[in-house]
Amino acid sequence: MGKVIELNADKCSACGACAVACMDQNDLDVTGGASAFRIVRDLEGADGGYEYYSIACFHCEDAPCISACPCNCLKKDEETGFTVYDNENCIGCHSCAMACPYGAPCYGKDGKMIKCGGCAVRVKNGLEPACVANCPTGALRCVDRTECEEL
Amino acid sequence: MQKTAVAGFGCAGYHAVRSMREHGYQGEIDVYTNTQWAPANPMLTTYYICGKLQREATLPFGAIKELSQKYNFHIITTSVQKVLSEEKAVLLQDGKTKYYDQILISTGARAFVPPIPGHEGERVFSMRTIEDADYVRKILEGREIKRAVVVGASMVGIKLVELLYARGIHCTLVDMAPYIFPLAAVPCVAAEIERRLTGMGVELAFSKALKAIEEDGQRVVFADGESISCDMVLMCIGTRANTEIADENITVNRGIVVDKRMRTNMQDIYCAGDCSEGCNLQTGDNQIIGIWDNAARQGETAGANMAGVVKEYEGNMLHNITHFMGMDFIGFGDVKSEGEEFLYENKEKGETFVIRVKGNKPVCMNFLDSYGASGVLKAYMINKFGGAGRQMDSVSKVRLLNEGIPEKLINFLESNSEEEDEWEK
Repeated sequence: MGKVIELNADKCSACGACAVACMDQNDLDVTGGASAFRIVRDLEGADGGYEYYSIACFHCEDAPCISACPCNCLKKDEETGFTVYDNENCIGCHSCAMACPYGAPCYGKDGKMIKCGGCAVRVKNGLEPACVANCPTGALRCVDRTECEEL
Repeated sequence: MQKTAVAGFGCAGYHAVRSMREHGYQGEIDVYTNTQWAPANPMLTTYYICGKLQREATLPFGAIKELSQKYNFHIITTSVQKVLSEEKAVLLQDGKTKYYDQILISTGARAFVPPIPGHEGERVFSMRTIEDADYVRKILEGREIKRAVVVGASMVGIKLVELLYARGIHCTLVDMAPYIFPLAAVPCVAAEIERRLTGMGVELAFSKALKAIEEDGQRVVFADGESISCDMVLMCIGTRANTEIADENITVNRGIVVDKRMRTNMQDIYCAGDCSEGCNLQTGDNQIIGIWDNAARQGETAGANMAGVVKEYEGNMLHNITHFMGMDFIGFGDVKSEGEEFLYENKEKGETFVIRVKGNKPVCMNFLDSYGASGVLKAYMINKFGGAGRQMDSVSKVRLLNEGIPEKLINFLESNSEEEDEWEK
């Protein structure tokens, strides 16, 4: 059992508020080249219409990044089920990026892996993840995995 | 009470024991290991030598003593001579035999050093264990090494070149193959890596067969009569699976053959990790896929089944990743396969990759300094091997477009699928 951040693509307008909130919450050095853990983009559908997406780590139940890391930097947070990390021993080998089917792991200026940790500390203290709290259309929700609908 | 033996405690052995306990196994577990420095990751040895990682960090899951308390197992340091598969027993080096209900063989692999004249010279080294790392570290710190020869243009070989280069040691990288990473790189990517290495002053000697090592490791002699003088030789030609403890009833090719539940052909004898041959999803054949992640998955699967929970691991494809000297190389699939190639270059971001497609499937991919798209494309490739449809899902597309991958490439992948789909109709 764990939590996930769910996107309702029908409600998303790719406004980018979630990405800005993510940069702020995680103190990401955007001017230094870092990106938000959450990417926001529109996609042209086959019918010529547009779909909007906001995507970050999916916090997979059986997360491939965890077993791929040669240094055991990643783990499941027991309380929230989010995929969290301690990058002290990260060697910057990018094995987690290669293992992730969603391309979620990023790397800081020091070459060490950083990623969306689901704002686990906020969630443990009764708050929502920053991206969810700042989503103006209610497209992002933090829910238990069992409630999560297919994206 | 049920009794289980685990022979070898690397990545696979550790994950198996953990998985057994997590799946509720209540019986006794005896772990046989010939090193107390377990479960170690061989990939971290060069990081330890250069000081990037502390010694303890080469044990990513912690030391065996603490783990034996956490997962409640006995550590036995007497080596296993043979697994007697019919009796479900292990014959130990001291002549004793111990009987079990089930046995896991997770003995891993060892560095392979070809038995050429002089291979046991004082200045000839290989790199796999923490002992190897200690040895090389001592040599590098204690003696003046000016020139080194690294034999084997492999993932280990290049990490040693990186290590030596950083210490100002002149390096020659030697291989019998005509180019670097012969088991993983396509020629144009290999050529670019070689161009950069040569530019940094690393000497490359490819298409060279080794004949002998002379003067205790101070001269490398090739079959063509040429030779190089040096202060040390590092042998990184490859690894060999430790399968010797399997008795004659157990099916062994290069590795011990296992099914999706990590069972060998003999009842209650399991095998996982670098000593096993699981399924190569690309070919459907059994093959050793000696990768950390694969060992973890196989170990986990073996552990679940040994705890009585049916769990299958479909298998994997060949894949490699290494980063060295400011470069980042990733290779997927069968590099010897033929097909139509798509070369992607983003000069501004300094990214290159090659995707080779045959029929409706990608058969080989190479990424140079462009790991960002690798995870999505690896998943796409593996899904294709499993018979997935032609469309890439939206999330994957969003990620690829965000990485700057042109739509043309995505269309290339999907259109190739389409042709085959039409054909099948």
